[in-house]
Formats: sequence, structure tokens, C-alpha cells
Amino acid sequence: MKVKILLFWWHAVAAWTWDAQDETCGICRMAFDGCCPDCKLPGDDCPLIWGACNHAFHLHCILKWVNSQTSQAHCPMCRREWQFKG
Amino acid sequence: MADSISSTCNLGFLDTLSETSIHEIVESYSAFCAATETLLNGAGDLSVGPQLVSHVHRLCSHGLESLVRDHFLGALERTFEKDGASKFWRHFEAHDDVSIGEQVFYNALEEISLEKQYQEKCLLMLVHALQTYGGRRSRDSDDVSPELFAKYQLSVSSILMATLPRKFPDILNWYFKGRLEELSTIMAGDEPRGDEDEDDRDDMELDEKCRVSYRSGQMEIDECNPQGRFFDNNKLVNNIGRVVHDLRSLGFTSMTEDAYASAIFLFLKDKVHDLAGDDYRISVLESIKRWIQAVPLQFLHALLAYLGDSVSYESASSGLKSPLAKCPASFYPGIDTPSEGLVRWQLRLEYFAYETLQDLRIAKLFEIIVDYPDSSPAIEDLKQCLEYTGQHSKLVESFISALQYRLLTAGASTNDILHQYVSTIKALRTIDPAGVFLEAVGEPIRDYLRGRKDTIKCIVTMLTDGTGANSNVSGNTGDSLLEELNRDEESQENIAPEDDFHTDDKQAWINASRWEPDPVEADPLKGSRNRRKVDILGMIVGIIGSQDQLVNEYRVMLAEKLLNKSDYDIDSEIRTLELLKIHFGENSMQKCEIMLNDLIGSKRTNTNIKATIAQPSHTDAGGELGDNRVSMDILDATIISSNFWPPIQEESLNVPGPVDQLLSDYAKRFNEIKTPRKLLWKKNLGTVKLELQFEDREMQFMVAPLHAAIVMQFQDQKSWTSKDLAAAVGVPIDILNRRINFWISKGILAESLGEDTDDHVFTLMEGMIDTGKNTANDGNCEDLIVGDEEGESSVASVEDQLRKEMTVYEKFILGMLTNFGSMALDRIHNTLKMFCIADPTYDKTLQQLQSFLSGLVSEEKLELRDGMYFLKK
Ligand SMILES: [Zn+2]
Ligand SMILES: [Zn+2]
Ligand SMILES: [Zn+2]
Repeated sequence: MKVKILLFWWHAVAAWTWDAQDETCGICRMAFDGCCPDCKLPGDDCPLIWGACNHAFHLHCILKWVNSQTSQAHCPMCRREWQFKG
Repeated sequence: MADSISSTCNLGFLDTLSETSIHEIVESYSAFCAATETLLNGAGDLSVGPQLVSHVHRLCSHGLESLVRDHFLGALERTFEKDGASKFWRHFEAHDDVSIGEQVFYNALEEISLEKQYQEKCLLMLVHALQTYGGRRSRDSDDVSPELFAKYQLSVSSILMATLPRKFPDILNWYFKGRLEELSTIMAGDEPRGDEDEDDRDDMELDEKCRVSYRSGQMEIDECNPQGRFFDNNKLVNNIGRVVHDLRSLGFTSMTEDAYASAIFLFLKDKVHDLAGDDYRISVLESIKRWIQAVPLQFLHALLAYLGDSVSYESASSGLKSPLAKCPASFYPGIDTPSEGLVRWQLRLEYFAYETLQDLRIAKLFEIIVDYPDSSPAIEDLKQCLEYTGQHSKLVESFISALQYRLLTAGASTNDILHQYVSTIKALRTIDPAGVFLEAVGEPIRDYLRGRKDTIKCIVTMLTDGTGANSNVSGNTGDSLLEELNRDEESQENIAPEDDFHTDDKQAWINASRWEPDPVEADPLKGSRNRRKVDILGMIVGIIGSQDQLVNEYRVMLAEKLLNKSDYDIDSEIRTLELLKIHFGENSMQKCEIMLNDLIGSKRTNTNIKATIAQPSHTDAGGELGDNRVSMDILDATIISSNFWPPIQEESLNVPGPVDQLLSDYAKRFNEIKTPRKLLWKKNLGTVKLELQFEDREMQFMVAPLHAAIVMQFQDQKSWTSKDLAAAVGVPIDILNRRINFWISKGILAESLGEDTDDHVFTLMEGMIDTGKNTANDGNCEDLIVGDEEGESSVASVEDQLRKEMTVYEKFILGMLTNFGSMALDRIHNTLKMFCIADPTYDKTLQQLQSFLSGLVSEEKLELRDGMYFLKK
């Protein structure tokens, strides 16, 4: 006697996460998997961006930071000159 | 008699009397006495009248007027005692019972009244004689008649009162009760007619005449006899009128009034009980009022008219109108303008009726509210009664004790209590729009519910779940309470009167009808006017104490629901969220919104991934296992932003190899599309639909991944020990043993003891025939069995979360109690607030603390006595 099992569907659950070293944004101190203070929805709507120095921030946070600097902006974490990672 | 002579004549005057005078006086006096005797006992023979007059004149000429009066009154008194009173009472003696028979009563009354009338005629004759004695008139201009009649009346009343049988008041009561019943029967078969109009004038004039000829309260001797126009030629009313008239004239005025008043009130009470009944779906107040108009007021109208007391003093009475008489003119059928007396009676009767009905309804308020809204007519009646009597406190006391006795008991389910609470609010806010009494009535329910563990959960279900929430309210199934509240609110906004409101006020009113997030912190002065409206949602949240707790609980329930969805259909959840946002504000619902958004995003991403993933070469439809691959078609995923979800219960699980392969392919594709984002599978969560194909039948199941993983292990191996199976599935053995019960209960697996006593053996059942558990599944593959997840949730419950968060304070609390010995709840709360200001800041509510402490009590770490917490020794 044998039983055959037919799967109709398998509805699984997963959590997404940013593949980053740190857990929180160095500018706003919010979790990367959350969103920046200006956003309501995390994920696609509030993406992360990496600098050439390999530090990650919320895109909106670093943009605000860069725009607030009068001269050349530096990475808030390592003080190296800020360059978006290509 | 000698006494009265000496007291009224002075002795010096006696000395001056001559022998002949004395002789004449003696002779006249005895003649006067004889004439009096003849007159009084003459059975209507007045022929001695002229003689009497001349004797009286002679005696008066000797200054003996008072002697004459006293003797005559004395003779009247003696005669009345002998021929009137004792004969009168003899009529009643024959009957032991109260109900002596109407005719006997009439005869007795007529006989004594005739006797009295005759005596009054005699007295009138004496008055005439005294008045016609010329010599005295100039000096003594006073009319002696009122004084004489008053004296006579007094002696009549005193004689009757002194000899009154004890049962006489009851006889009167019996008499009036009987007549009222008779009248009621007549009225019941005799609806108001319109053919009396032309008589109006005549009756008015009659009434006028009657009032003019009316003399002094108790002594009207006039024959004026106006009949209530409804009862022209009506023997009944004439009889009643004459009876009351006669009784009054005998001095039984107040006894008579008491008798008919109490008969009327008793009758009214019976009638109210009769009309009110146990059917709460109809209003009875109007019929009660109509009945008061039709029977007792007609009775009184006729009575007062007969007694000459019916006509109003025109405008004077208008100030005394019943406040309920909306159109006074037509209010009294057939009575143009009611007299003051009648209006006063109406007020008394209506008040009594309202109070009686009110007491009846209050006594049954619990049942009435259970029946709400079907019972709203009874509620409306009660409202009007209370507005009239102002006895709201009666309602509060009585209803609270009914609640304690009937609802707030261990046997009642939390759901039932909550539904009764909501019905109570809905029903009572009609009666009490300001919510003052509602507050008092609701308090014991709220207190009781706070002591129940499942209260918050039930509240959230009632608010948000359309399926179970209103199941006992007819016609409303499928609507959540929230939906219903919202609909009410919208309809109220739509009917907001335009004219009475300035735009500002109107806005304020609309705002006030929205729930205010935190009533504790709201300025009590600011909103006092706006708050005068019962806020159902606010009163429900008031049970929990804080809106945050309610939202939290909702979030957990929402997470549970969303994680168990096999499709992405969230329309009803979106609708509920929108409603919650209206009441609790967008910010409070932010996390829930992200959760729903995750579902929407998941659907899109899922389609995207499955459309773009590189399908392996094989193209078998369906997901038949056995060969090493399964089609990607069977896999769907819900991808969550876990930071915004309540803590997820994570359990390890080895899903079957082919499925595991699908999961990693899927995650890889996700990473390609969404880089640098990646997926972390929660393998124990989700739903699986599968079919077991036996030789003779197929069975379909919708189960949790763990159940699927377990049963799929039996495809290649018929029998497993629990140890081996737990290892294969990748879960602790106790979890396996618990969850595998699902398949045992369905008759798919059988459990037997293995060689090792703590190791069980599970075997796939060969056939299902002998299990007896498959009656519903006779080979029909459409039958779907859904795995019951009782006690197994995907999300940590609010209590679990709270316990976790509060554990850091446990040591602190125990330390405080070691120092202080005992502390009350709010003192612990305040101390924590004061000292735990950093890392982590104490931010819990009093209710949360209470719930945590009661956990410590049940763990026997603490003790609670008289509101004080102690360390358990
Ligand atoms: Zn940031
Ligand atoms: Zn942002
Ligand atoms: Zn850097």
C-alpha cells in the first residue's frame, strides 16, 4: 500500500531584509528594514544606497545630508569623501 | 335642656317674670315640643307648621329663641339617630360580605337621604318661623339659617361616624370598582362618536346654571343635574352621580373621594399591567393614555359635572394643562374645556400610569435589552415615562442588580457580556442621550470585563469581524460593529439640522461624534458640550483602558489572519483598516497599514518572480512528488516587512526537499530582482493544500507546513518512530507529538507504542474503512479538510509580548516589595514611572501592569490581598 501525495499549492512566508552590514542607518538611527523618518512605507519606497566607502544609508537620509553640506559632502560614518557606489 | 336654659338666660330676668308670664311660657313650650314631635314624626305631614310658627313666636317674645333652637336641633338629632342612621346601617348588617348588591345600596342610600331631606324641610320651617318673628329682626339682622344648617349637618355626620360599621369604606370601594368596570365595558364597545356636537350649547348653559346655583360645598340642595353629554340618559352615570352626591351630603365626603380614587387607581394599575404585557415590540403608552381619556376621565367628568364642578374658568385652567396634552381642544373627546379639577385628576392619573409602566419596564429591562433593537418601542415608552417621573435612579439601581445577578456571572461568555454591554449602550442612549446614567450602569460591566482574560480579544473580534460579531442581532449579520458604528455616524452627519447650527458648531458636532483618542488627557472644560453624546466606541475602548492596547491586539489578530491566507485577497481587511483609521487616527494604524501593504506588494512580486524565473526543463503540470522536482507553479509567497509585524513565532522545520529547492530558487530570483534585498524564509508559516491519494480514495487537506512535512515523510516509509520522524522533520519531539495528532484524528496515521517506552511509532493507515472517521470523505475529492490550528499561532500573543517586555521590571518590583512590604497597584505603577526612566523606559499602562502582576500572582511569586500586593512567602 502506497500513498501518493499531490501538492496543490504551498503558500510560504518570508521576511525581506536589506543585505547590509549594519542594522540601522547611521544618519536617522532607524532600522534599515524600517524606513527613514520621512517615509511611511519601507522597502522599495525607501531604498538603501551604498557609498564608495561601503557604508549604507537610507537614500533619503544621505540625500538630505549631501544637500545640507555647503561644500563636498563626506560620509557621516567614516568621513571619507562621499561618492555613490557605482 | 335645663342646662341650656340656664346658660342662655340670665336669672335676674327670670325674677321679673310674672306668674302669668311663667304660665304662658310653660304652656307655649310644651305646645312647641308637641308640635315639634308631631312634625318630625309626621311622616311628611307638614300641617302642624302654622301652629309651630306661632309657638315659636310666642317663646321668642319671652326671649327664649335659643331654647327653641336647641330643642328643635336636639329633637332632629334624636329622630335622625332613630329613623335615619340605625335604619341605614341595618341594610348593611344583613350581609357579611362587602358586596351587598347594588340595589340594596341604592335603597339604603335613598331612604336615609329622603329622611334627611324631610328633616331639612322641617328645619327650614323653623328658620322661617324665627325669621318672621318681627321684634327680633331689627336687633339681630344675622341670618340664623347657615348656622342652624351647619349644626344640623354636623350632628348628622357625627351620628353616622359614631355608628359607622368597619366595613363601610370597603363597601364604597366595592361599589365604585363595580361601576368603573361597567363603564369600561361600555366604553370598550363604544368608540367615540361625532353626533353630539349640536348638544354642546345646551350643555354649556346647563353647566353655567349649575355653577351659579351652587351654594356651599357640601350642601347643594339644588336639583341641577347636568349629565355628561356622553351619557345622556345614561342610568349608570346618573346613579354614580347621585350616590356621590348623597354620600357627600351625609358627610362622607372624603371617605367617598378616597373610595373612588382608590378604585380608579387600582383599576388603572390593572389596566396598565394588562396593556403592557411581555411584548416589547409595541408601544403601549398611547393606548394607556387613550384608555385614561376613555374611562376614568369620562367617569370623573360625569361625576364632577353631576356635582356641579365640571366647568372651567376659561383661561384660568389653561395654565394647568397636562404637559402631555399636545392639542388640548381635541384631547378630551366631547369635553370642550376641562375643569381645573379634571385637569388635576388627569395629571394624577397620568403620573400614576407612567410610574406604573415605568416600574414594570424597569423590572424587565434586562430582557428588553436582550431583545434590542426589536424592543425599541418599549424603550421609547420607558424614556417618556422617565422624562415625566424623573426617576432615572430607580432604573440605575434595578438594572445594576439585574446585571450582577444575570450577566456578570462565571457562566456567561465574554462575548455575551460584551454584546449585552453594547445593546445596553444603544438602548439606554435613547433614554439618556447625555450618557450620565449609562456611565453608572456601564461601570460594573466594565469592571467585570477587565477581570477577564479574553476581553480584549473578544472586543477586537466584535469590532472588526463581520462573521461572528452580530450573529444575535437579526438582519445585521455580516457587518462588524465598527461598520455599523460608521454607518450610524454617517447617517447622523447627513441629517444634521442645517438651521440650528452655525457652521462652526456643526463642525464641532461632527468632531465630537468622532472618538477622541485619549479621554483621560483631554481638557474636561474644552469639550464638555461636545461630549454630551454617547460614544459607543469610546465606551468600548473604556473597558480596556487604552486605545493602544486595542490596536495592538488588532495587529496581532490581523497578522495571524494575513499569515494564514492562501490568496492575497484582503478587501475586507482594507475596509476595516480604513474604519479603524477614522476612529483611532492614521498614525496608530501605521503598522497595520504596512502589513496590508506587504500583502499587496507580495502579490505583485510573486507574479513577477514566477513569470521571470527560469523554469527547469521538465513541464509536468501539478506538483507530483516522487520525482525530484516540483513545478514552481505551486509556490506562492507572502513577503513581510518584519519590523512592522508583531513578533513572529519561529520554529525550525525541514520542508520536503523538492519544496526546499523551490524556496531557494524563489529567494534567489527575489534577490536578483530586488537586490540588495534578500528573503529569509519562515518555513513553519503559511498554508499548504495537498491531496492524499490512496488506492480507493483521495482526500484533500489544507494544513500548516509542519503537517504537510510530517505526512509527506510517509510517502516512502510507512512507519516512523517519533524520534526519527522529529529528526527528519527538524522539530523537537514534543512539538512533533503534539502536532501529529491532527493526522491521527483524521485517521491517516495510527499511533502505537514502540520498543522504547517513550518512543511512539506512527504508521500510515492502510485503508480508512475501519477507522470510522472518514464518513464524510467517501472518495469525494471536493471534500476539503482544513487543519485546525487550535492553540498554534503564527504570531506571539499580546500577553506573551507584554510578559517579555515586562520581565525586565520583575526584579525591580520584587525589590520594591521587599523594601516596602506591600504596595497598591498605582503606587507600584508610579514608582516604576519615576525610577525606570532609562533603558528601558517604563511606558506601560496601569492595566498592562495589572495584567503582568496578576501573572506573577498566578506564578505564586506575589500575593494580592485587599488591593495590596505582597511577596509570596
Ligand atoms: Zn536613515
Ligand atoms: Zn525614506
Ligand atoms: Zn563611509
